[in-house]
Amino acid sequence: MIRAILLFAAVYAALIAQEFVPPVPFLGGAHLILVPALFCYGALWLSFPAMLGLAVFTGLLSDLAFLHVIGDRVEIGLGWSILFYVLAGTALQPLRPVFLEGRWEIHCLASGAVTLMLLLSQYTMVCLRRGSFLFDGTIFWHLVGPAVFALLVAPLVYFFFSLLPAGEPARRASRRGGGLTR
Amino acid sequence: MNKLHVSLFAGAVLLAVILLSFSSERMRSWQSGYLRVSNPALQAGSAISGQVEKLQKGLKTLDELEVENAALLAQNNELRAASQLLGDLENENKRLRAALDYRERSAFKLLPAEIVSRDASSWWNTAKINRGFGQDVDTAQPVLTADGLVGRTTTVSKDVSIMLLLTDENCQVAARVEGTNEQGILSGQRVAGNATPELVLNFLNRDANLQPGMKVFTAGVSGAVFPAGIPLGVIKEFRARELDGQAVVEPAVDFSKLDDVFVVQGSK
Repeated sequence: MIRAILLFAAVYAALIAQEFVPPVPFLGGAHLILVPALFCYGALWLSFPAMLGLAVFTGLLSDLAFLHVIGDRVEIGLGWSILFYVLAGTALQPLRPVFLEGRWEIHCLASGAVTLMLLLSQYTMVCLRRGSFLFDGTIFWHLVGPAVFALLVAPLVYFFFSLLPAGEPARRASRRGGGLTR
Repeated sequence: MNKLHVSLFAGAVLLAVILLSFSSERMRSWQSGYLRVSNPALQAGSAISGQVEKLQKGLKTLDELEVENAALLAQNNELRAASQLLGDLENENKRLRAALDYRERSAFKLLPAEIVSRDASSWWNTAKINRGFGQDVDTAQPVLTADGLVGRTTTVSKDVSIMLLLTDENCQVAARVEGTNEQGILSGQRVAGNATPELVLNFLNRDANLQPGMKVFTAGVSGAVFPAGIPLGVIKEFRARELDGQAVVEPAVDFSKLDDVFVVQGSK
């Protein structure tokens, strides 16, 4: 329970912290994002209903934090990130039994992939809204840089949360191989 | 997945679809509420970030100290020369006085504001300022410094507002080139590689005789957000395209050193 509460708190803290992380010059000025790595940990560790709760929480806060409203135009509407995180979390749930056996590298790869997919889908929507598709080295690094960062930071997230008490339901699920999802 | 899981999944998707159907005004109002709730955390983060920045400035490697030493020696020579000619103290005094008097000199009613945070997302150039509707800030109000236009407010909460920077592709400003009849639309880039990217001035005459160094100001067309005469930048390059001309403009404001700004709240 403590781990689950801290996970929700960490998502909010990461959203606030992201505001103060400067862009990385050697990654083409890309912005590092921490939230997908935290969400992926939750998606692989929590039961399906709890994962959906985390997806709604993460998606709603992400949208509210970065909503871009100009006049009466919204480029990526409120609710879109909820849809993304619900789908990403559902796609990751079948890997939960393997993850609960201690395969931390699944979280690493999932964090990188989900970050890349999130940014790619956001950029595609921005391009569709603006009516033209541009792609150059800077945009490549804005997509790939944060994904590589998520891949590298994921073991730290895993290590931090593995230090916290998991609670009886999660331990039982681990022994059964993801029994809470069935 | 059992029936309960399918229902929960459908519920979450339905919630997302309901939120997506909100009007832009309602979305803005929800975001304003989020900013209001998050304001203490943002202020605390801004203070911590400021302290970390100060600490980073204090910690320097030997190479950095050597570079700094060389720069300081050069600056020392320059200051000696300046002192002999004019007196650097007098100059500095005048410069500081000019900055302080900007608010009084300006033709606009200005509200001073500080940058809380900036550029938190990958695809938009925005910044948050520590002023909101509690200080009579409204949406779509121009924001500037003594050097020129910075951007305009988009979402306004009680004590914090989001500002769309001039360097964003969505921040489009009607602009004119000093000493000519040339007018166009100035905008930023879709994705910037650094804090102060170049701007582009589109829809100019393809035969326009524009030279590097010419100044660009807001045109102030009727009904526009930005009043006329605010400096935007300096032309760096002009190229004729098939149908129109395009100029590359260096911003008047150094966006990498943006700390204090003014919100324009109308004319005096």
